[in-house]
Amino acid sequence: MNMDADVAIIGLGPAGLQAAIHAARKKVKVVALGKSASSALNKAEVENYFGITSAKGEDLLRIGREQAQRFGASIVEEDVIKLVKDGDAFRIVTETDLEVQARAVVLAMGIRRVKLNVPGEKEFLGRGVSYCASCDGGFFRGRAVAVIGEESEAAESAILLSEYASHVYWIHRGLKVSPQMLERAASTKIEMVPGDPAKILGEASVTALDLKDGRRLDVQGVFIALGAKGSMELALELGILPDPSGKISVDEDCRTEMEMVYACGDVTGMPWQLARAVGQGAVAGDNAAKAVRQGKS
Amino acid sequence: MDELEQIRERKRQEIAASSGADWPSEPVNVNDGNINDFIKRYETVLVDCWAPWCGPCRMLAPVIDALAKDMQGKVAFAKLNTDENQKTAMRYTIEAIPTLLVFKDGELADRWVGARPKEDLARRLQAML
Repeated sequence: MNMDADVAIIGLGPAGLQAAIHAARKKVKVVALGKSASSALNKAEVENYFGITSAKGEDLLRIGREQAQRFGASIVEEDVIKLVKDGDAFRIVTETDLEVQARAVVLAMGIRRVKLNVPGEKEFLGRGVSYCASCDGGFFRGRAVAVIGEESEAAESAILLSEYASHVYWIHRGLKVSPQMLERAASTKIEMVPGDPAKILGEASVTALDLKDGRRLDVQGVFIALGAKGSMELALELGILPDPSGKISVDEDCRTEMEMVYACGDVTGMPWQLARAVGQGAVAGDNAAKAVRQGKS
Repeated sequence: MDELEQIRERKRQEIAASSGADWPSEPVNVNDGNINDFIKRYETVLVDCWAPWCGPCRMLAPVIDALAKDMQGKVAFAKLNTDENQKTAMRYTIEAIPTLLVFKDGELADRWVGARPKEDLARRLQAML
């Protein structure tokens, strides 16, 4: 299935939804993609936002989605797994293989929380533990690995690693991936292992992964792949270079170094606060819509 | 060469070494064949192990370039493409990139994994001088 948009907004947190509201009010065609449940705001209690003494983040996100839709934005509750420049447009592919062609893109996926926080994770970083299957998969040719995660990034990582590793265990606490991704994973040698990681073991490098139910998996690699691709990874795919901490530089109009690509919210820097995300979302959405309209005239 | 000229030459070499004239001001591409010579040539060496397809490696590259300039005369910087130099990658058990290998007096002294801000790396290197 295909969709066309003037402005595609990637991320359904406060920055992305505010960008969708502002862009849609400029009467351009807006598609906003992502999962609000992945936003840091989803589990937060808000008490430091202007005009609100106490609110559940989950409720604000739900209202924000409804607002954006009321102004004409289409909401697609799916992870984006690919973002490429395609001539003058951008091509976005989601976890259900939906393709969106857009003239401008707003990156609003926030900062990925990648740490699993289990013993051995820090100790064996770079010696078996990795957060980047596309970077490090090649080092595990012919060896057994475990991928940990429930969402699209874990699926992508497991599928990629199945090309290199002798065996891939996909450890998860209940999968939240699309049927299309699940089908792709099922056609490989991936072994699904429902379970909860307890400890990464090894000596010079990783030798095993213990699960909380007492099972031990003999693996030489542990790939931690929580959540979905973040703004940083998507920016890199486009050729935009974030700084080493993952921050994407933007100007006062929330423009990145690439024409027609905007970024807003946590990924552009601190403080990681709702107020800043919303403010930047308004600027990014407004300017992306303006740029498209100027291009049209 | 008379004795006076020998003393003059020695002094010239000492001054050149102390001023860092012989130290690279940008990262030097090393390979399986010449990495050992590079490591032994300088007291403190940082080798950036990277590969072209690795996003975080690309994010780190400008930082390594800037540090090589800032720390010229104190730390010599090199880059090793792990895809083309698997012997060295295996020797140092590189299993993630970017990995930064730090050598002191020709011996591996530390290894840091992942892209890091310039200030963090500068502080870590300064502590090792």
